Amino acid sequence: MQGPLIESLARQGVSRRTFLKYCATLASMMALPPAAGLAMAEAMAAARRPSVIWLPFQECTGCTESITRSHSPTLEGMIFDMISLDYQMTLMAAAGFQAEEALHNAMKDNAGKYLLIVDGSIPLGQGGIYSCHAGLSSLDMLKEAAQGAAAIVAVGTCAAYGGIPKANPNPTGAVSVSDIVKDKPIVNIPGCPPIPAVMTGVLAHYLTFGSLPELDDKGRPRAFYGETIHDRCYRRPFYDQGKFAKTFDDEGARRGWCLFELGCKGPVTHNACATTKWNGGTSWPVESGHGCLGCSEPDFWDAGGFYKALSMPADPLKFAAAASVAGAATGGAISLANRAKKGAARSAHETITLADLEK
Amino acid sequence: MTLDAIPIHVVPRHAGSPPPGEPGLSGNAPPLLRELAEQVRRLLESGEPSAIDLSALPLTPADLDWLREKLGGGEIAVTLQAGGESTLDETACAGVWWVTHRNEQGAVTAQFIEVAFVPELVKAHPQDVAIGREQLELLISDL
Amino acid sequence: MNELQFLTWVRGPGLDIAIGIFLLGVIWRLFEIYTLGRRKDLAAPRRAAGASGLHTVFRRSLPPPGMMKRSPVSYIGGYIFHIGLAVIVFLGAPHIMLIANLTGLSWPGLPAQIIGLVTVVTMAAMLAMLVDRINKPAKRFLSTFEDWFTWAVTFLPVLTGWLTVQHLLLPYTTMLTLHILSAEILLIVLPFTRLFHTFTLFGSRWYNGSANARKGVPV
Repeated sequence: MQGPLIESLARQGVSRRTFLKYCATLASMMALPPAAGLAMAEAMAAARRPSVIWLPFQECTGCTESITRSHSPTLEGMIFDMISLDYQMTLMAAAGFQAEEALHNAMKDNAGKYLLIVDGSIPLGQGGIYSCHAGLSSLDMLKEAAQGAAAIVAVGTCAAYGGIPKANPNPTGAVSVSDIVKDKPIVNIPGCPPIPAVMTGVLAHYLTFGSLPELDDKGRPRAFYGETIHDRCYRRPFYDQGKFAKTFDDEGARRGWCLFELGCKGPVTHNACATTKWNGGTSWPVESGHGCLGCSEPDFWDAGGFYKALSMPADPLKFAAAASVAGAATGGAISLANRAKKGAARSAHETITLADLEK
Repeated sequence: MTLDAIPIHVVPRHAGSPPPGEPGLSGNAPPLLRELAEQVRRLLESGEPSAIDLSALPLTPADLDWLREKLGGGEIAVTLQAGGESTLDETACAGVWWVTHRNEQGAVTAQFIEVAFVPELVKAHPQDVAIGREQLELLISDL
Repeated sequence: MNELQFLTWVRGPGLDIAIGIFLLGVIWRLFEIYTLGRRKDLAAPRRAAGASGLHTVFRRSLPPPGMMKRSPVSYIGGYIFHIGLAVIVFLGAPHIMLIANLTGLSWPGLPAQIIGLVTVVTMAAMLAMLVDRINKPAKRFLSTFEDWFTWAVTFLPVLTGWLTVQHLLLPYTTMLTLHILSAEILLIVLPFTRLFHTFTLFGSRWYNGSANARKGVPV
């Protein structure tokens, strides 16, 4: 296996065996057969480093933080050796118009071939004024950059579906990448933030096979988002047995029982947290005792409260009192009418039946 | 609420049974032995190596223990230090290797059962051997 | 609107509207029925052993003499599915949580596997009753659109609830939405159809018993 990548890795003290081991683990995580690990290793070692442009919009930088969460030197960091990250506002050393020049040069030199990564939502309110950079609104930046991109990766729930800025009442008019770009292949990698290994797995797939992985109807890679948290949760036997924790830190919670009653959105959330976990496989929210927030689903902020179980009402009931009063009033009015009819029939010495009253 | 108000129970663990809250055997492990037999047959006939990815299968910890116990231990145990420790152990059936990959934090990242004369990662690559030769030449010239 | 947004709507405004119409309908009809009044019975009341409103409430829980042999499915099936429904709704953990959220009351429930078993038995009983209604000529002749409709409106929540918990047919989110939606339809329809017997059953048994008891006849 030859190639510039193997040599640059060797220069950083990363051995061939480490790289092979990494590819085997990555293939396993993407649910590819073991033989694919070897194929991936060969392809990645030989791959040319594609140009990658990263545009952050209306975001909290959590996605960038998550992806760079490589306790160095780890394996996610290797991905960045395989790509030429030509523009990334948070990480790049240049600033000001030099940085912008780097962006435009990258877009020109690699027109039609670069990978565009976007995180953060795009605000449309007031002409897009809520997120501007170097004199351009995020909306215009996205449209311009999307034109020459080979594919777009929308990282994080904000870029994929609108995320927290889009939560009710959406004051900035935030929308997702796929609401604006319609003519390029888009991969959504939602999560608030997404798991780093998911991000790098998609990139590795693109580098190896030159195409995006198989996507579901919401544009998410099936390898990581094909199943719900509930399907792979290790606390599932407790759910099936009806053993639920009632409050945080009660007896049930300490025994590791199911967190459904504490608002866990596991059953309606597609993500890889239950298998891939976080922080290099250390733990994940449910294992730490807190229910899943559903952060990789669209509009999870407005899904009826993090601590309300799925079988509980999402809003407090508003109409109940008014409806009861309305019912009493209607009943009262009709009964008065009925009595009047009965009285009239009495005076006229006629019989009256229920059928007559119901007319 | 003080810390004392939270009750603590000690749950005795019976030898051989899974820890409280964990499921036991699921019955998914025995068919793997048949698949391994088929892969070993292919290895002998055509020399083609193969592997089973254990993380991809619905196996409980008890299933993995059962499999490990049935396959037993062989004569060779290989420890690989590459981005964390990995172990490649021959089982009692020659040609069947139990491979466990760990990251630098010690967490298990992948487990395979590899069927090969020698596991892929153990073999030295010709390019690395060429580099090793250069190192040897350097050592000789220093003498 | 994607499926999670639909689920949130069904759990939020949808439930609001359904419970609102339900309360409105129930209170209205109860008012209407009980304010109707009856003409005073000017005859002297008679007494008879075993004749009173209360007697009738209990007596009507048993099939009249000879009817069990003629129509066992109606009575056995009827009892099984009514008891089954009560067990599922009031002893199933997610429903107890719903009631706890709305009223603050809560009580222990049964394990999920038992509720699952009860659900299957309930559905079987309801299907048996449907088949009986189709096969028995008298029943079929007497059945109107409302009868078939109320059967469906009661069967669907049970079926969709079971499919949701067993993770069958459709993805969980969609299945749960359909279950809650079908329960909401049941709530809306209940006060305005024969399903209102839920609230009028014991009242009307009692009235029949006491009216006839005045005449000295146990019914």
